[in-house]
Amino acid sequence: MRLSFDRSVEGFRQTFLAWLADNRPSPEEMAADPALSSGHAPPWARRWTRTMFDAGWLVPGWPPERGGRNASPLEQLVYLEEMARADVPRSTNPQGLGIIAPSILDYGSEEQIGSYAMPILRGERTGCLGMSEPGAGSDLAALSTRAVLDGDQFVINGQKVWTSGANHADFCFLFCRTDPSAAKHKGISVVLVDIDTPGVSVRPLPELVAPEYPELNEVFFTDVVVPAANLVGTLNDGWAMANGSLAHERGMVWVSSVMALDASMRHMLDAAPGWLSKLRSGERAVAAAMVADLYVDTQAVRCLGYRGFGKLMRGGSAPEQALMKLFSSETRQRLGLVAAEVEGAASVTVSPQGARGPFLAVDEASTWMEQYFRSFGLTISAGSSEIQRNIIAEKVLGLPRS
Amino acid sequence: MDFELTNDQQELRDAVRAVLATACPPSMVRQVYESKADDGASRAAPLWRQMVQLDWPALTIPEPFGGLGLGYVELAVVVEELGRAVAPTPFVSTATQFVPMVRQAGTSEQQDTFLRPVAEAGSTGTLALAEDDGRWEAASVATTARPVGDSWVLDGKKSFVFDGATADEVAVVARQEGTSGDEGLGVFVVAQASLTSRPADVIDPSQPLAEVLLDNVAVPADRMLVAPGDPRAVETINRAIQEATAAIAIGMTGTCRAIFEITLQYAKDREQYGRPIGSFQALKHRLVDMYLAVERATSLAYFAALTIAEDDERRGLAVAMAKAAAGDCQRLVVQDGLQLHGGVGFTWEHDLHFYLKRAKSANALFGSALMQRAAIVSRLGLVLDEPAGSEAP
Ligand SMILES: Cc1cc2nc3c(=O)[nH]c(=O)nc-3n(C[C@H](O)[C@H](O)[C@H](O)COP(=O)(O)OP(=O)(O)OC[C@H]3O[C@@H](n4cnc5c(N)ncnc54)[C@H](O)[C@@H]3O)c2cc1C
Repeated sequence: MRLSFDRSVEGFRQTFLAWLADNRPSPEEMAADPALSSGHAPPWARRWTRTMFDAGWLVPGWPPERGGRNASPLEQLVYLEEMARADVPRSTNPQGLGIIAPSILDYGSEEQIGSYAMPILRGERTGCLGMSEPGAGSDLAALSTRAVLDGDQFVINGQKVWTSGANHADFCFLFCRTDPSAAKHKGISVVLVDIDTPGVSVRPLPELVAPEYPELNEVFFTDVVVPAANLVGTLNDGWAMANGSLAHERGMVWVSSVMALDASMRHMLDAAPGWLSKLRSGERAVAAAMVADLYVDTQAVRCLGYRGFGKLMRGGSAPEQALMKLFSSETRQRLGLVAAEVEGAASVTVSPQGARGPFLAVDEASTWMEQYFRSFGLTISAGSSEIQRNIIAEKVLGLPRS
Repeated sequence: MDFELTNDQQELRDAVRAVLATACPPSMVRQVYESKADDGASRAAPLWRQMVQLDWPALTIPEPFGGLGLGYVELAVVVEELGRAVAPTPFVSTATQFVPMVRQAGTSEQQDTFLRPVAEAGSTGTLALAEDDGRWEAASVATTARPVGDSWVLDGKKSFVFDGATADEVAVVARQEGTSGDEGLGVFVVAQASLTSRPADVIDPSQPLAEVLLDNVAVPADRMLVAPGDPRAVETINRAIQEATAAIAIGMTGTCRAIFEITLQYAKDREQYGRPIGSFQALKHRLVDMYLAVERATSLAYFAALTIAEDDERRGLAVAMAKAAAGDCQRLVVQDGLQLHGGVGFTWEHDLHFYLKRAKSANALFGSALMQRAAIVSRLGLVLDEPAGSEAP
């Protein structure tokens, strides 16, 4: 066990920080033209993703031809932490960079890699994930959007919902049913569908906070025709790609969650003395204890992540890693909850229109109350907290199925 | 940066676990629980002899004084396993309280005098710090030290002293008469024969506590580790308290993990309504929350161990977080651990209560989660009107 990083990793950090300082988009440039949803890449974001790709800083763990530099896991960790500290997104299309591109690189054809995966990495195209449907949320395998193979093309009919960024994305990584007679998990395939294909229509679904910047959408497919070559991987074998937890582990998504939590905690600690000064001493003791509790949680999330990481680096398995999504999202939620409560009456004021950003924007722009409401995006999506508990109970703790 | 045990550290853990599996099964803990106080110590004696033979007490004693010179992480590995087995042993008092105090405060000669017997001959020691108010902090000490010629005379009463009735040597924190707060503090080593000790009746007999009475006890100068009034006294004492407190937190996480594992197994084995109770979602989710609490506490326990091992500037905060998290963890796993066992967990015959009582005691001693949380509050600068001179350890 060791707390400090060795010299070579520190050297890597310095190299990256120097490059970042010279090349990063300025906070003003980013704020002047924010991404409107997770499917939108404004010009600065496109340039920036491309710059990172060319310099091998987009996905450092990958080889140079895929935007990396074959960095070690520890170097990737340092990179992700520094990126978060610098408050610059690697891409404004996180599901594209984190899930869709890696899935296509793993399962897709050369043509798909060339026209879908690489353009994401070069900041040229954005993708959205079409998984959930009105009748298939937590029980994703119940999805019923149909893709019928007809010669050398698919004909698609159905509806997706909660599709992040579909209102701006260029294409959809679409999960559909290709064999309705097979068992639930067995008849699902993934097809790439350009959003401008005739028969695709997108209806934004504004959220409970900042409805002027819709992030979620309904996507309707009516007799949509796409080439059979757009099938990703093997027919009826799409379920393997639905395993979001895999991407979680591989993509070290936990690092970003930990860093975001840390940043929120710092903002809270900055604001706390002001809140406490308005309280009477008895109230202050109660409030301070709530804040301290959250501080302990944020530090624990990080240490837990590091422990799992240490095991994975040795090639072992890290069952604790399954706790990261649950623990970090619920801590984030408690943070908003406590901050708004300690803030008191002032917490009911909403941030001015325009000041609060779209879903992806840094949290500082919105009030603690708004952050609290937005945090449900984390505890509901990508396997709700309840589903996480079910999975951990059965897969990690070995408890019998209900 | 590496938060996983090295191969050597894992081997140490496996070795400790294997020894305890045979030398310290629950049946042995039960014998200690069911015997009278003095008798309990003798029942635990063979385990201690074996630990001495295996050089465990020598682990963190520097090599020049006969020890192995290993770091705090290795100590943490042993302490976690001892907590997991609810081991009745003077290891915690000796290796995590007495040794750090002597190492932090003693001259080379004193370290040789007091540490070598621990490393080489199984001698035991403890730390007498807290008094009736149950606070393990330097500023609360009322016991006095009075200079008489070359030596010092100690007067006062210490409470909740780990193995205080049996430890061969007792490190006593006292203050010069007429001083208060962080002023005038000193540290002395007093032999068991020179003081009066009274075993306390406690809920967890596997960790005996005692009152130590110091009634006009003369201590020669060579047994004075820190002279009252020495400006480095508070810092030295606080560092030793941090090591001791972290060890309680680490041991407590081991005990909590045991409670969790025992309860998890029970949930798989026990059937009602024709199926294992662990298949009911209401219980599944509670078991996952227990698991998370254990992992949360373990993560912070080892973070604290690392900050001590590397003398990181965050060590004070890290130790408070570790003890607070371990305390939070025991609150949940004791509660749900007992509840999920149903009636059987409520009985004396079932072994569960050894673990529950160890966990509860560990939370209450060396500063409860409540007190640690308050310490975190002040370390984060969230206290606006704190009176001066009450620095947390
Ligand atoms: C911000 C956000 C972004 C999203 N982005 C996308 C996207 O880009 N693409 C996409 O496809 N989807 C996306 N989703 C959808 C998301 O994946 C679903 O909301 C999620 O899977 C839950 O499904 P549901 O909303 O239908 O809730 P339901 O599944 O109906 O769940 C309702 C409640 O029941 C609980 N529940 C359900 N089943 C169980 C069970 N077995 N045991 C215990 N409790 C249970 C749930 O935990 C929840 O509390 C997004 C959602 C959000 C909030």
